[in-house]
Amino acid sequence: MFIGTEKLTHTYMPGTPFATEALKNVSFSIEKGDFVLLLGPSGSGKSTLIQHLNGLLKPTSGKVHFDREVIGKEKRSLLHLRRRIGIVFQMPEEQFFSETVYDEVAFAPRNLNLAENQVDQKVKDALNRVGLAAEELAGRHPFQLSAGQKRLVAIAAVLSLEPEVLIFDEPTAGLDAAGKKNLFNMLEYFNRQESLTIIISTHHLDEAAALVNRVLVLEGGRLIMQGAAEEIFSKRQELYDAGLALPPVTEIMHELRQKGLPVSTAIFTLDEARQEIINLKRRRYR
Amino acid sequence: MVSEASTIIEAIAVNFSYREEETSQVPALSRVNLKVFRGEHVALIGPNGSGKTTLLKLFNALLIPQTGEVLVEGISTSNESEHARIRQVCGMIFQNPDNQLVATTVEEDIAFGLENLALPSSEIRRRVDEVAGLLGLEHLLRQPPHLLSGGEKQRVAIAGVLAMEPACILMDEPTSMLDPAGRREVMSTMHNLHRDSRLALVHVTHSPEEAVHADRVVVLDHGRIVKEGPPEEVMTNLELLHHYRLQGATAVELAEMLRKDGYPLSPQLLHSRELVDSICSLEQKS
Repeated sequence: MFIGTEKLTHTYMPGTPFATEALKNVSFSIEKGDFVLLLGPSGSGKSTLIQHLNGLLKPTSGKVHFDREVIGKEKRSLLHLRRRIGIVFQMPEEQFFSETVYDEVAFAPRNLNLAENQVDQKVKDALNRVGLAAEELAGRHPFQLSAGQKRLVAIAAVLSLEPEVLIFDEPTAGLDAAGKKNLFNMLEYFNRQESLTIIISTHHLDEAAALVNRVLVLEGGRLIMQGAAEEIFSKRQELYDAGLALPPVTEIMHELRQKGLPVSTAIFTLDEARQEIINLKRRRYR
Repeated sequence: MVSEASTIIEAIAVNFSYREEETSQVPALSRVNLKVFRGEHVALIGPNGSGKTTLLKLFNALLIPQTGEVLVEGISTSNESEHARIRQVCGMIFQNPDNQLVATTVEEDIAFGLENLALPSSEIRRRVDEVAGLLGLEHLLRQPPHLLSGGEKQRVAIAGVLAMEPACILMDEPTSMLDPAGRREVMSTMHNLHRDSRLALVHVTHSPEEAVHADRVVVLDHGRIVKEGPPEEVMTNLELLHHYRLQGATAVELAEMLRKDGYPLSPQLLHSRELVDSICSLEQKS
């Protein structure tokens, strides 16, 4: 186990009439290099779970593990933990507070009391990794950028600490098709080429489903399913009942199958779908 | 056919720029001409920064064009004394439901706009109950809005606008922050409203799966209208959509790939059900 929880329960406002159990007995484990999709309807506990993974929230009961340690056991380890696990929250650009793109990305490294030339290197590397031209954009005000660029700056601000684990809470909300595609290509690169462990919570499955190797499904604070994408997305009715949906292309394959065509439903990209439909013909002639 | 008399909104040669003083700045909108007719569902699509939200805000006088004119039921939005009336005719729903709910219970929230009209309380009660019934919110009237699901919150926001008895509802990506169940909920609410009343909808969306359900699709790019027409014409034109960094609906994209493989699929194919039926009948024939 690289990251995981053990019977994690979290209650907001415990001991008051407003006490709400946001997570109930959640246990899972993921390995280094995994690309994990965290699924669940709104209010199912996804954000609460994410905040436990870098110690922003403490369990009411149960444990959170990271790299053979229990999170939150010693106070001094939290800073260290947050350098290794970076979270990009929903609509992160709404939290910009600096006058320039450069200062926004430099904020975290400066807090580590690094020399300014080291900070400079980290800022340039981070902007470079998200595909933004540092020379051109570093001096600009963040609000002068396009929606897609702002999102990338927010991600660069997290990357500036060079975390090993990246967690994204609905990273594509408000992005256009091209921005979405660019973002997922980047995540794929981080995971496949730079061996980062990635956890992503999103409802936009058309891009995500093909990239992830594991899916966790939360409903009402409970982990109701976990497994490989092929396995989870074969459970169409259960997902639908939980207020969720299949990736659109997988949904089409399910509908074809329901009509009696012998196609696989473990299909997550348009190319796979095309191939599977063409294969129907080949199978017949054999 | 729609007649001139049924025009609700008319944009005439509208130019708008967020920074008047900077003439070098690319304007947010230039030379936009558009009419919205009573009872019509218009989808506004375009990449980030193309001017979709700006146009929506011009339609209910949140922004005023620098040159050109926006007329709402014949009244110019430059006429400040008419703003309250214009906003009653054209209500707005924003992306994030949390940013538009103001009261402590659902019924107070729905009544908020009505109270500002100084209507008698019996009339307020009647209208709140009527729209709550229409949108299936009766059982939630005394709930605090923050305890609702995303889809429910968005329906409360729609109810608040509907209670003002508008002729048109403007929606800025109303589903992008919702889970699949919430999306289904809001989309079917929109379709029912559009079907059962003469309400016009102007709907900004990044989802091609939503745009295919409109009566007319308007494509914006760099502040200009570059294409408009029925979805059968616009949303099936993948060359055009891809050119403007947009995507087709999954069924349309998959159909285009299969056409290249020799599948004789209708060029007007828009919905996944049509694709599934076509493939099935082709398979049966062969």
